[in-house]
Amino acid sequence: MDFDFTEDQESLRDAVRRWVDKGFSFERRHAIAKAGGATREVYGELAELGLTALAIPEAQGGMGFGPIEAMVVNEELGRGLVNAPYAHAAIVAPTLLSAAPAELQAQWLPKIADASALVVLAHQERAARYRLNHVTTKATKAGNGWTLSGAKSLVPAGDEADAFIVPARTAGADADAAGIALFLVAKGAQGLAVRAYPTQDGARAAEITLANTPATLIALDALPLLEQAVDAGIAAICAEAVGVMDKLVAITAEYMNTRKQFGVPIASFQALRHRIADVKMQLELARSMSYYASLKLGEAAPVRRRAIAQAKYQLGQSMRFVGQQCIQLHGGIGVTDEYAGSHYFKRLTVLEMTFGDSLHQLGEVSARMQDTAGVFA
Amino acid sequence: MDLNFTPEEQAFRQEIRAWVAQNLPKDISHKVHNALHLTKDDMQRWAKILGKQGWHGWAWPKQFGGPGWNVIQRHLFEEECALAGAPRVVPFGPVMVAPVIMAFGSPEQQKRHLPGIMSGEVWWSQGYSEPGSGSDLASVKCRAERQGDKYIVNGQKTWTTLGQYGDWIFCLVRTDTSGKPQTGISFLLIDMKSPGVSVRPIIMLDGGHEVNEVWFDNVEVPAENLVGEENKGWTYAKHLLAHERTNIADVNRAKRELERLKRIAKAEGVYEDTRFRDEIAKLEVDAVALEMMVLRVLSAEKSGKAALDVAGLLKIRGSEIQQRYTELMMLAAGPYSVPFVKEAMEAGWQGDYVGAAHCAPLAATYFNYRKTTIYGGSNEVQRNIVSATVLGS
Repeated sequence: MDFDFTEDQESLRDAVRRWVDKGFSFERRHAIAKAGGATREVYGELAELGLTALAIPEAQGGMGFGPIEAMVVNEELGRGLVNAPYAHAAIVAPTLLSAAPAELQAQWLPKIADASALVVLAHQERAARYRLNHVTTKATKAGNGWTLSGAKSLVPAGDEADAFIVPARTAGADADAAGIALFLVAKGAQGLAVRAYPTQDGARAAEITLANTPATLIALDALPLLEQAVDAGIAAICAEAVGVMDKLVAITAEYMNTRKQFGVPIASFQALRHRIADVKMQLELARSMSYYASLKLGEAAPVRRRAIAQAKYQLGQSMRFVGQQCIQLHGGIGVTDEYAGSHYFKRLTVLEMTFGDSLHQLGEVSARMQDTAGVFA
Repeated sequence: MDLNFTPEEQAFRQEIRAWVAQNLPKDISHKVHNALHLTKDDMQRWAKILGKQGWHGWAWPKQFGGPGWNVIQRHLFEEECALAGAPRVVPFGPVMVAPVIMAFGSPEQQKRHLPGIMSGEVWWSQGYSEPGSGSDLASVKCRAERQGDKYIVNGQKTWTTLGQYGDWIFCLVRTDTSGKPQTGISFLLIDMKSPGVSVRPIIMLDGGHEVNEVWFDNVEVPAENLVGEENKGWTYAKHLLAHERTNIADVNRAKRELERLKRIAKAEGVYEDTRFRDEIAKLEVDAVALEMMVLRVLSAEKSGKAALDVAGLLKIRGSEIQQRYTELMMLAAGPYSVPFVKEAMEAGWQGDYVGAAHCAPLAATYFNYRKTTIYGGSNEVQRNIVSATVLGS
C-alpha cells in the first residue's frame, strides 16, 4: 500500500506543468474557445511532449505507460484547463484499438501515438443517455466488409477527428448486451456526415450520421471492451477533474485573501471559512477516489466496474459542489466570462456529465453493492 | 502507487485475524455486532486480554513495552479488531495519556503508570472539558495551587466519559492566571480515590450513563504527579491531539456497521427499495472515499514524505458517516425504532421484542451518536482548522 509517485512520474508531472505554464495561458485558451474550440494545434503540442503516445504499447510506437502515468498527466491537463480531447483520443481510443486485428492496430496506433491521427469514440446515441448497451446504429455485412447506418451524438472534436470508433449492432434488440460490435470509420467515408459545434467548456463536438457507411471491424461482441475503455476514460477524467478543482480551490483561496469587504479580507469571515473547509473536504475525497479509480482499472470487470462507478459518483458530487461554491465565494466576479474561475466551473460541469453523471453512477453503485463494504471488501 | 498491502503486511493481517478469532470472547463480539449494552466487565475483559498479549497499547514503541508496530501494522490491527466485533478500546489510558507520559513524563511516572495502562488493570479518565470550557478548552478554570510538595485542586470537569469506572484521571488544570490562557495550564495526574473527588452521572438523551461530572474539592495531589513542567500542559495536550490521527476517522468500524445496516435493511424489506438502497449506496461511497483518505495518510506516514494535513477532514467525515449509518439503521426499522425498552438492549433478554430484536437499540444509538460531531473538537472547530490550512492563515 503505497501512494507515492515515482521520480519518473514526478518528472512527467513537471513536464506537463511546465508546458502549461509556458505554453497554455488562460488567455490562449480563452482565445481558442472564443474561436470555436478547435484544438488540433494544441493536441499536436501534447504530442511533442510525448503525451499522446503514453498509453500505446512500445511495439506500436508508444510509451506503454499505465493508469498512474495517465492520472498524473490528466491531473496536470486539468489544472491547466487544457481543452484538447486528451482522455478520449489518447486513453479511450487506444484501449479500444488494443483488441483490433493486428493490421488495424499497426495502421492506426503509431499515428495516434504521434498525433498525426486523431481517433475518437463516437458512442453516444440520443435515447441512450449513459447506457453503453443501448445501441441502435446498425451494422450490416457487405461482402468482406461492413456498412453502418445510424447516428451518433456529442462526438468530441468530431470535425477534427481523422477516424471514429463506432459501436454498432450486429444483432439483438436496442438494449441487449450481446450483438454490439466496434468499428472504425475513417473521415470522408461514403455516407458519413459531420455537423460540428462548440461546447460549453470551450471545446468542440459533433453530431455524425452514417448511411451505409463502409466500416472496418475492430471486434465483435465488444460491450465488455467498450466498458473497459470507458472505465479507463472515467479514471482519466476523474484525474482531470482533480486538477481542475485543485487549481480552482487555489484561485479561490487567493481571492479570499485579497478581496476586502468591510475593511478586512473576506477570508476572515467564518461563514466563508467553513465553506472553503467544505470545499477542501470535497476536493480531498475526490482526489482519494481518483487514485482509487486508477488503481482499480486492472481488476476483473465486476470489481473494476463497481470501483469506477463509486469513484465517478464521488467525483461528480465533488465537482458540482466545488464548482458551485467557488463561484459563490467569488461573488459577482465569479459569474463573469473574463474571470478564469467561471471556465473551471464550466469544465467541471461538463466532466460530471461525461461518461455518466452522478445519478447514473449512483444507480451503478447501488446495483452492484455487496454485503461487505470498503476498499478491501 | 500500489493499493495492495505487501505480502508481509498481509501475513501480519492474517496473524492478527487468527489471534482475534481465538481470543475475542463470543459473548462480547455478539454484543458489539448487535449494538447491545457493553458492561464495564466486557470492556475491561477485552482490555486485559489485549494487555496480556502486550497489545492494549498497540501503538506503543517497544521501549515502553509495546509491540513497536509501524503505522500500517497498527491500522491492520485496528481494522481486524473492528471487523471481528471487538469493543472499541477505551482510549483514555493507552491512546491518550500514555503517549504524553512517554514523551513528557518522568522515568518514575513512566514506571509507575505505563504497566497498569498496558495490562488494562488501571482505568483512566480524561479531565479536559469544563462547564465553561468546551471548544474554548484553553479557558479551563479548575485550579491547582502548589502548597509545598502537593497541589490543592478545586473545580469541576465535565463530559468525563466512563469516569464512573475511573481509577485515575489526567487533567488540564489552571496553575497560573497571569498570562495568556494557554500559558497557565498544567497537566496533572490525579488518583480518583483521593478524598474530595466526586463523580456524578450525566444521563444522556438515549437514557444511558456514559458521561459524568467530576468535582474536585480541596483534593490533595502529590507534586510528583505533575507531568513535565508547570504551565506547559497546553503544549502536552496538543502533542496528544497530534497523536490522534487516522483512527479518529473510525473507518474500520464504519465498514462493519455498513454490513449491519445492510442486514437490517434486508430484514426490514427496504434493501430492494431503490430510494432506500441508494442512500446506503451513497454512504458506501462515503466510506470508501474516507478509507482511501486514511490510506493516503498512512502511506505518507510510512514513507516519511510530506505529511498530509487532513486530520480535521478525517474527524469531520468520519463522524458524519457514523451519524449517517445510525440514522439509516433507524430509518430502516422505521416505526419499530420507536419503542424504548431498555432491557431489550441487554444481551440475553428473554422478553418479547417489538418488531424484531435488531430494532431495539437503533434509535438509542442514533441519539447517542449525535455526540460524534461535538466531541474531540466539534466539527465547526475542525472546519476552522481546515480553513486555516487552505487559506494559510
